[in-house]
Amino acid sequence: MNKENINTQIDGYSDIQQEIAVLEKYALDRGVERGQVKQTIDWLHPKTLNLRISEIREETDSTKTFRLVSRDKYLPPFQAGQYINLFVEVDGVRTSRPYSISSSPLQLGYYDMTVRRVDDGFVSSYLLDAVNAGDTFQSTSPAGQFYYNPLFHGNDLVFIAGGSGITPFMSMIRDVVDRDLDRRIKLIYGNRSSNDIIFNKRIEKRTTRHSNLSMHTVISEPEAGYDGLTGFITAELIDELAGDVNGKMFYVCGPEAMYTFVLGELDKLNIPKRRVRVEVFGPPSDATCQPGWPEDVSAADSFQVKLKGKADIQARAGEPLMNSLERAGFVIEASCRSGECSLCRTKLISGKVFHPQGVKLRKSDRTYGYIHPCMAYPLTDLEISI
Amino acid sequence: MSDYDVVVVGAGNGGLTSALRLAKSGLSVLLLERHNVPGGCATSFIRGRFEFEVALHQLSGMGLEEFPGPLRGMLNELGVIDKLDFVQMGNLYRVVVPGSLDVCLKADRMAATATLKEKYPDQAEKVDGFFNLLYEYCTQWISVAMMRDPEASREKYPTYFKYNLKSTQDVFDEFFKDPQLPAILGIYWSYMGLPPSQLTFGLFAVTLWAYIEFKPWHLKGGSQALSNTLLDAFLDAGGEVRFNCGAQKINVAAGAVTGVVTEHGDEISTKCVVSNAAATTTYTDLIDPDLVPEQYMREMGTRTVGTSFVTLFMGLDCEPGDVGIEQATNFILADMDAERAYKKTKTLEAPEYTLLTCYDVDDPEFSPEGACQVSVVALAYADPWMAIPPTQYFDTKMAYADKMIELVSRVFPDLRSHIEEIDVATPLTHMRYLGHPGGAAYGFDQHAKDTSLFTKRKSPIKGLFHAGAWSGSGGGFQPTLMSGDQAARKIVRTING
Repeated sequence: MNKENINTQIDGYSDIQQEIAVLEKYALDRGVERGQVKQTIDWLHPKTLNLRISEIREETDSTKTFRLVSRDKYLPPFQAGQYINLFVEVDGVRTSRPYSISSSPLQLGYYDMTVRRVDDGFVSSYLLDAVNAGDTFQSTSPAGQFYYNPLFHGNDLVFIAGGSGITPFMSMIRDVVDRDLDRRIKLIYGNRSSNDIIFNKRIEKRTTRHSNLSMHTVISEPEAGYDGLTGFITAELIDELAGDVNGKMFYVCGPEAMYTFVLGELDKLNIPKRRVRVEVFGPPSDATCQPGWPEDVSAADSFQVKLKGKADIQARAGEPLMNSLERAGFVIEASCRSGECSLCRTKLISGKVFHPQGVKLRKSDRTYGYIHPCMAYPLTDLEISI
Repeated sequence: MSDYDVVVVGAGNGGLTSALRLAKSGLSVLLLERHNVPGGCATSFIRGRFEFEVALHQLSGMGLEEFPGPLRGMLNELGVIDKLDFVQMGNLYRVVVPGSLDVCLKADRMAATATLKEKYPDQAEKVDGFFNLLYEYCTQWISVAMMRDPEASREKYPTYFKYNLKSTQDVFDEFFKDPQLPAILGIYWSYMGLPPSQLTFGLFAVTLWAYIEFKPWHLKGGSQALSNTLLDAFLDAGGEVRFNCGAQKINVAAGAVTGVVTEHGDEISTKCVVSNAAATTTYTDLIDPDLVPEQYMREMGTRTVGTSFVTLFMGLDCEPGDVGIEQATNFILADMDAERAYKKTKTLEAPEYTLLTCYDVDDPEFSPEGACQVSVVALAYADPWMAIPPTQYFDTKMAYADKMIELVSRVFPDLRSHIEEIDVATPLTHMRYLGHPGGAAYGFDQHAKDTSLFTKRKSPIKGLFHAGAWSGSGGGFQPTLMSGDQAARKIVRTING
């Protein structure tokens, strides 16, 4: 007797056969579900946004805000503090850069992207000098982990910003103010000179109307006669401005040098790790200064990188591998360009790379030789699979 | 001549094991994965200093080296067992209903029954009776369903024939008057996604029995280590993989597979495809539904898309013991009523059944020193989540997560004050990363009518095979991993004539 015959003797078998017969008679036509998953997800996380610049506003001598609207009639919601990765083509090189959204998450008619000129900035110079209203771009949809989490952040927030690091905070401030939320925000904002302060008037205006928001600007190289706070954002200053640090959540966003300094200062105040949120920042300005960089490799050293089955290219040690790939015309998936999101995860077949501290590689990805090219620096000739 | 002997669509558990088996059998295999990392559910992601395990709670089917389970046997045959470092979990599980019950069972029949009899002395006989039935059923099931005894009959295996399709609740009712023991013994219903009244005893019994006999396991590096190891072995065996490259279309002509088109528009010719995508996706999105025989579509139209999850991934800045966590596997229930809890899985109301897993209990190296990782899961169907306006999604998700933290805080009150990182996945998150309808992690609901006794596993399209939870294997690591291997063996037999 075969198995099927045997199983028909199980108690209840024929009842279920009858049930199936009825169900089949009135079965759902699954054809109607075609495309449903993609449609559902595209409302929240479309893979690509097609954008157009509607307006450009000058914020300071070195900073502009680009207002981006959708060419597809829809921008997905985002959390105040998140970024988009903007794809650009500069001098024939296709690359991308993540920029925080500075506008309010409460309106989705546009995203504002505020960009400050970076010294020798390949993309920032292009955006500030060569881009006009009407130009079109693509970007990823909003991403990133630097946002308010109601599950444990609490209602007392201290924002520590440096220079262009104000952009995610501008969105967060707009969110809290526009929704009239019961969250207290203390913004400590460091800049080199008072001319560099982005959004000064916009924030000031909001502090006068909303008692739960205050701003303290700190200038490190004050001009003669400047009478506000000066110097760096030290533990003493934070202690004085933030008051009792217990129960407060500290958010830090700014240039590379500020992180090292401010995180050290927060440490002096014995603020536990869980009460500090740090926005990721791109590649270090000089990877060779990072702890662990080998002495025998200099930034100018150039290595051969074999792209399995595709091409051989040259890559400088002092530059993220992703940049060298892009210069050679090979664009790989990217979003954070800070080693965090793992979208660029790539198999290293042979050779050695340097990942600065803080690059988020999975344990087993390390074991099996995967790298994050957006923050991986070649130390030898390499072979990778893209 | 085809470009590849086989194209495997999706690098989930089933996709990976089938790809590996096929490559090891000497076939040319291309594995396509839409995401940038292999594993499907069997993956991890990093927040702050934590690498969060996405899906694996208790790996079943491993057994001990001297008494290997089917999964250990398969991983051994695939040549990857020595590359993985498995961690045996100390206990089966703890079940807590704050204020009503709190029991922790060992993964051992004698010890588990002793614990229950000590706790419920007046029901000692019933406990023994239930376990006797459980073991008798499973022994007979092995003879009939696994060993395929040619002389199987109702007379020879009465328990198998009587109990296979009975509801789990009916069996509990035969033994127990009070709800405590069914609440404790029946908790694995949540691993199958249907409450005891809708779950066949056949499915339930084998699950509980197998966890006790083969023990629950985890592994160093989490499930991502398993996925990476399977992929690495596949590459070593000559296989090719493309990440960030989903399949757009499976080409079918005259009822047979002719090739695959990738999302980037590349056409690949092959006569054989293993789909690790959802069954519904395969036959509605990847293949033109008009090319699928009507009876097959009809059969698929009788099924219901199964449950998904809401999961909180928490990194705590303390040792498990500092917040009172002593067991790895803690089922924390608002109340003992599984049926009511199941109804809630179809709403956005506070979930009543949660599983809290702390991986560091059995593997202190799982998280950085002085920290630990906790995941809290509730079953949740996607429908109510799909009805949320996109602008309300974040707040809804956080409000739901907050209720889950409230529930588990009744057992571990200091949990929230130690959160250093937290992220929340909902049915829509699963939908996004898996591409499955309903974000379903276990495939279709596994009602009696959906079990292998009634369903036809064979695809009506020549050259098309299925791996993963939607193939009829049911969900979970062991079934999906083994389903891929099974599909591959079938293919090897077919191709080698």
